[in-house]
Amino acid sequence: MAEVKIKDIVKRYGELQVIHGVNVDIRDGEFVVLVGPSGCGKSTLLRMIAGLEPISDGEMLIDGKVVNKVLPKDRDIAMVFQSYALYPHKTVAENMGFSLKIKGVPKPEIEAKVKQAASVLDLGKLLDRYPRQLSGGQRQRVAMGRAIVRDPRVFLFDEPLSNLDAKLRVAMRVEIKELHQRLKTTIIYVTHDQIEAMTMADKIVVMKDGYVEQIGAPLDLYDNPSNVFVAGFIGSPSMNFIKGSIRSDGGAQRFVSDHGSVLPVRPLPVSDGHPVIYGVRPEHITLGPGGLPVRVAVVEPTGAETQIFARSNEDAIDAMLRDRIAVRAGDHVNFVVDPVNAHVFDQQTTKRIS
Amino acid sequence: MGSNRTGWLMLAPTLLILGVFGIVPFFYVLYLSFHQWNPFAANPNMIFIGANNFRRLVFDGEFLTSLWFTLKFAFFAVVSEIIIGYMLAQMLTRDFYGKGFFRTIHTLPLIVAPIVVGSVWRLMTTPSIGIIPYYLNKWFGYQLNIGSDATAAFIITVIMDIWHWTPLVTLTLLAAIVSLPKDPFEQAQIDGANRWQIFWHITLPMIRPAILATVFIRLMDALRTVDEVWMLTGGGPGAATRFVGLHIWKIVFPKTDYGYGSAISIIVLYLTLVMCWLLYVGLVAPRVRRSKVNADA
Repeated sequence: MAEVKIKDIVKRYGELQVIHGVNVDIRDGEFVVLVGPSGCGKSTLLRMIAGLEPISDGEMLIDGKVVNKVLPKDRDIAMVFQSYALYPHKTVAENMGFSLKIKGVPKPEIEAKVKQAASVLDLGKLLDRYPRQLSGGQRQRVAMGRAIVRDPRVFLFDEPLSNLDAKLRVAMRVEIKELHQRLKTTIIYVTHDQIEAMTMADKIVVMKDGYVEQIGAPLDLYDNPSNVFVAGFIGSPSMNFIKGSIRSDGGAQRFVSDHGSVLPVRPLPVSDGHPVIYGVRPEHITLGPGGLPVRVAVVEPTGAETQIFARSNEDAIDAMLRDRIAVRAGDHVNFVVDPVNAHVFDQQTTKRIS
Repeated sequence: MGSNRTGWLMLAPTLLILGVFGIVPFFYVLYLSFHQWNPFAANPNMIFIGANNFRRLVFDGEFLTSLWFTLKFAFFAVVSEIIIGYMLAQMLTRDFYGKGFFRTIHTLPLIVAPIVVGSVWRLMTTPSIGIIPYYLNKWFGYQLNIGSDATAAFIITVIMDIWHWTPLVTLTLLAAIVSLPKDPFEQAQIDGANRWQIFWHITLPMIRPAILATVFIRLMDALRTVDEVWMLTGGGPGAATRFVGLHIWKIVFPKTDYGYGSAISIIVLYLTLVMCWLLYVGLVAPRVRRSKVNADA
């Protein structure tokens, strides 16, 4: 149980600066996900929290104490690596009990704790096996078990699910979330998968190129992305972006794309002709009378949903519709957007306007 | 069928060489060991004497002493080489100024022929002209004379072997260390282990196969050391460094007692196999068995 404060953290490798003054406050018991494309510095940040990577500048505080110079072994944190990092020469039980053995915990107590964690993770029958005798999913569980046994102040997860197949990943996602609800320990979780971030986090930190782009609750990021990057990164399928400008011509404001497509907006504090990027999520588009006339290019039915890739003039727009719709490539339909769901960003700064 | 024949054809040169230089001589030596044969004696004929050579061996004080010296020599040399080699390998995993230069210099002894190593060390240890006695005397007032001091001679042979063969150990252990995955070591740090605990619980078990392989190689080599020591001390003073290889040489060549020399060779081969087998049973096999049991479970 601990809160973690990341204050103006900078990471440099020689001349190259990869993290540029990151600030994040993590409350006690919070589940925070660091998310971003590869190379954004999220794993480096996590490794700095763990103490595996020296901090070039700024302060890292755990429970109010600066830990910049504290060795990993003295930080009382547990970490699950992407590769699981199991000790190949130790059995599952030895892997899980290693940290306690190092601490000098009496053997019966270690055994009890390992057994307890094993039963939580359904590893009871595998305790005498070696890592090479386990499947990927089982190894992942052992790595988690090793963390749980510790009862640490903070859990760190570095893309723990990315080596699992899709089905197992969903199952483990639920399990990790349940685990958090039961243990109520602070978790800092790194992933490049925005679905994982959305489904698990109390708070998401979106990173790009060593900067924090936005921090907020999952749905908050989804509803109010602060810039084009976050808007495009969060949500699947990705948000539609169309370049154009705001026009009113005396009447109500509307968006007119560079290619002439017209879409509705809420009243915006910008002057006529202001260059903007118009964003709308595919799932916020409906078919109907009025709206934007488009020509259907490709239809992808998935059973539950139908995704339509369409063109309006030269503008590409996707729509994700809840129903099965009898549309075919080449059809002409109308895409309707509720102005409430329209996101408008400044073209120059890519920051949100509405 | 065709590919089978091609396979044998491809293997033929190797098998031929192995047969001519390995298998045939081995059986010839085995055959000789049951005979009395001294081609330069009054009776140069080969006489079958059953296991008499082996019986003689058991009561041969000279042989037993040389065997004991050899075991001591192998033990001190191999243990030191493994420890020093490991430390050097660890050092070479880090970056320091002049690392490339050091690595080259450090590996040089490996490419020097044993006979040359022996000559060089002989020069370096000869009392009136050698650099080692000179400085030992200058700094510590110690008179090193491996021609008269048995213990000193023995220690110098061990040091020479360490000098010659530690680079091999360094290279094999370095290869093992750099090929280890990084994550378990970081995990161990996070698990709260200090450097010593990481070494003992993580590094050592993970490079264990490499260490064992190196021990096997070095042990077999050390048990049959001849040329370096022959050059350095000639087995002396007295018989203080007459290791078993030298002993065999003395019996076969100056004494031309081929039968008895062959018997000793066979016994030394047998002892080497037994020692390696004991090491294997003691250190490798339990692990293999343990993991097999687990796999079956």
